[in-house]
Amino acid sequence: MGRRSFLKTSAGLLAASGLAWPGRAHAGNGGRWATLIDLSLCDGCPEREVPACVSACKTLNQDTVPRVADPIPVPWPRKNIEDWSGKREVFNRLTPYNYIYVHRADIGGGRTLFVPRRCMHCDNPACATICPFSANHKFENGAVVIDRDLCFGGAKCKTVCPWEIPQRQSGVGIYLHVLPGYMGNGVMYKCDLCNGRLQEGKPPACIEACPREAMLIGPRRDAFSLAEERARKMGGYIYGKNENGGTSTLYVSPVSFDLINGTMTKAPGRPDMKVGVERQMAGTDAIGKAVLAAPALGIAAGVAGAFKWLTNRKSKVKESGKEDG
Amino acid sequence: MILREKGLVVRHSIVELVEHWAVALSGLALVLSGMFEMPLANRYYISSIPGLAWSGDFIVSLKVHYAASIVFIAAAFFHLVYHGIRGDRGMIPQKGDLRASMEVMKSFFGRRKEPPFHKYLPEQRLAYVGMAVIIAMLILSGLVKTYKNIYAPDLSYAVVLWATWTHNIFFVLFVLAFLAHMSAIVLRPNRPMLRGILTGAVSLDYAAHRHPLWVAEMEAAEVVPVAGKTGDMTVETEESAVADTAPSPPAERTENTVGGPSADGKKSG
Repeated sequence: MGRRSFLKTSAGLLAASGLAWPGRAHAGNGGRWATLIDLSLCDGCPEREVPACVSACKTLNQDTVPRVADPIPVPWPRKNIEDWSGKREVFNRLTPYNYIYVHRADIGGGRTLFVPRRCMHCDNPACATICPFSANHKFENGAVVIDRDLCFGGAKCKTVCPWEIPQRQSGVGIYLHVLPGYMGNGVMYKCDLCNGRLQEGKPPACIEACPREAMLIGPRRDAFSLAEERARKMGGYIYGKNENGGTSTLYVSPVSFDLINGTMTKAPGRPDMKVGVERQMAGTDAIGKAVLAAPALGIAAGVAGAFKWLTNRKSKVKESGKEDG
Repeated sequence: MILREKGLVVRHSIVELVEHWAVALSGLALVLSGMFEMPLANRYYISSIPGLAWSGDFIVSLKVHYAASIVFIAAAFFHLVYHGIRGDRGMIPQKGDLRASMEVMKSFFGRRKEPPFHKYLPEQRLAYVGMAVIIAMLILSGLVKTYKNIYAPDLSYAVVLWATWTHNIFFVLFVLAFLAHMSAIVLRPNRPMLRGILTGAVSLDYAAHRHPLWVAEMEAAEVVPVAGKTGDMTVETEESAVADTAPSPPAERTENTVGGPSADGKKSG
């Protein structure tokens, strides 16, 4: 199914831009996707104990974490075991068993917004590029996915993520079969944008479950232009377009994200929304480009050095010839 | 080049010394900063050691890794191009090196007498190729990883996995090769060569005793070349590490490259 037809077959026609935007989309194969989260539409599902998006995600991923080793090997020398297997029901923060939660933002003046939080699926995600085992990878469709069979749970991805999204479950994964206790400490878990479902032409479970179509997925270009359009119409703001060097998740809000961020206290499993948060890896780009130029530098120096040697040799031969002659 | 007044033999030129130490020192920095790219510095309190606080910061250690790799990669490419154009072949393995290496190994343990050597020992030539392959794979995979980091985080996962695991596996091989390289110095017969890689020269006594074939090549080159053959002559003019201090050497390396040992002598010089 082509992109245009994919757009036209949408069930909920939210065509503010004239585009038919899918609420329950058939995300066909190929192309780069982006998601839009419209905070003017999300109401946090007041009629439900657990918001629909969170509930759908939990149901889909109920067997994602395998059985946890008993006992969990104690990592040496720091004995920091992270075990959420007894708290699978937690839904108000990110955990290895919960990849999306909804933050309640009481802005003041009686106004409240609800902010679904999950992995932003960044354009150049340090969590993926810097993983020492490439257990985390950004795919062409935009999904940043942790390979649970390769991850050692060192939590490096969490350290370099400005929102510290990935969450560790100790006692599972490949490290148990290598050097448990000395190398690794479990597996990191986070939203994978339902990459498996995307491959099958289905939208992510959270987006499919949202009763207010506050979350959408579509071709990146269309998602970006729709976000711009909605923000313009509501005189609002966008988050995720430039943060951490750009992401595949755009929040649109009638309230500034500085105000929303003011309602958040960064804590484990509860990211904040600092506006303009920088991509840490950007500081390494310039020197990285010099690395890519290093072969040319070496070749140029080699040619110059050899040329000097050849020139000297020639003049020596000449001198020697004169002496002989 | 033989410096008889000083009782020395020039083993490495200044250029070769710079190449060796550029690769060695940047290589060590790469090993260290590469290890810190794994989440171990904080876990094992390495970042608590004074002066190593940076080891716990992945971004800083990546910058160190990048900086060291500029030197490492440039030196490796310089080595290939410079010596390739000069036609230096002294470190290229020769037929029978494998068997000869086994004989030399036995001699280290007193099983038999060492055979006479050229400039390089047969196992040095083999080790050179081994290290060259390891370095080539590390550079190739490292460049792919760097390109991915900057320009293409969504590079094919198969390519990324290949680059990452090649880098990791050859990192281990590099460390093993480095340890083997260090172990070679521990062996008593090899120790005089340490002076060579530090100063550029080894003692004439050592060279004459252990590398008689090399000394013979150099002595042959000292003989005035046959008249009428100047067009074929190769004159070595590269500055040696100790030549500046040498009181006008009796003969520059004027070597006949037309066949015979002198050609080998020049090319391994």
